[in-house]
Amino acid sequence: MSQVESMLGAKTLTPIRHDIELAVLAATPGTETSPDIDVEEKLKEAFARGWSVIVWNDPINLMDYVVYVFKAVLKMNEKDASRHMWEVHQQGKSVVARETREKSELIVHRLRGFGLNATMEQV
Amino acid sequence: MTCQQIDAEHWRLSFAEPEALFIVGVLARLGRSYHDDLSQMPPALRAYWQGKITSEKMSADSDLKESQEVLSEARAELRSERLALAENWLREFEITERRNPWTVEATTTERDEFVAMLNDRRLLLALEIGVTEGEMETDPGLITEEARRNAILEIDILGHFILVTLGPQIYHP
Repeated sequence: MSQVESMLGAKTLTPIRHDIELAVLAATPGTETSPDIDVEEKLKEAFARGWSVIVWNDPINLMDYVVYVFKAVLKMNEKDASRHMWEVHQQGKSVVARETREKSELIVHRLRGFGLNATMEQV
Repeated sequence: MTCQQIDAEHWRLSFAEPEALFIVGVLARLGRSYHDDLSQMPPALRAYWQGKITSEKMSADSDLKESQEVLSEARAELRSERLALAENWLREFEITERRNPWTVEATTTERDEFVAMLNDRRLLLALEIGVTEGEMETDPGLITEEARRNAILEIDILGHFILVTLGPQIYHP
């Protein structure tokens, strides 16, 4: 199980993406969709782990707190969480997850909920 | 302050009376902050509550715009949830007959929210007065401006409460 897969059971913060809905509809026999929709492309985009979640350094969040948040949100073990925390502290940022767009959004929401400066970027 | 685990999902937080009064003051100020109208807030605080989904420059037609809106909505919801928790704890303090120590029982989720709320207060204070990294590494006693010194002291004290609640977290090989 990946570090964030367990989060799938967490409260959904994002609405269902319409492009995914359309792609699923298009892939369902007997369902009519616009021919303009590139189903394969949409499906590929929806399920590709093409997004990085980045946590940026800030002067306020405590190191132990950041480690705790990584463990709580990303289900990292103590060693990995500490390594990412040091990376944020020393290099200014750390890529803490590489996921699908929806999962990346959820992770950014949760990290920001704990007050970390997290963003997502397309790989 | 102490934080004891009762069972897998429950915690007991216990505060000496001066600590309890400090925490109650923090919760009251946080409650106002969670309740305040976003449009009336200074830009730095508004930006904090709206959140930022990406550091990339978003074009006008970027579909990340939708993600940004969803993030801002989720953060508005978060403020409402934290306002409710702050009000619950304030109510509990008001009706308790024993304030020294003041004891609160919390689920793991509530404990996490409590810690995140203390951290909200630290971040909001820092944004309000524009705390720099240098100031965070300076002895607060050396900061001459009273308002800044008090804010940094409060940030430090809140950090202490967070660390006591969570316990040590960093891996030392």
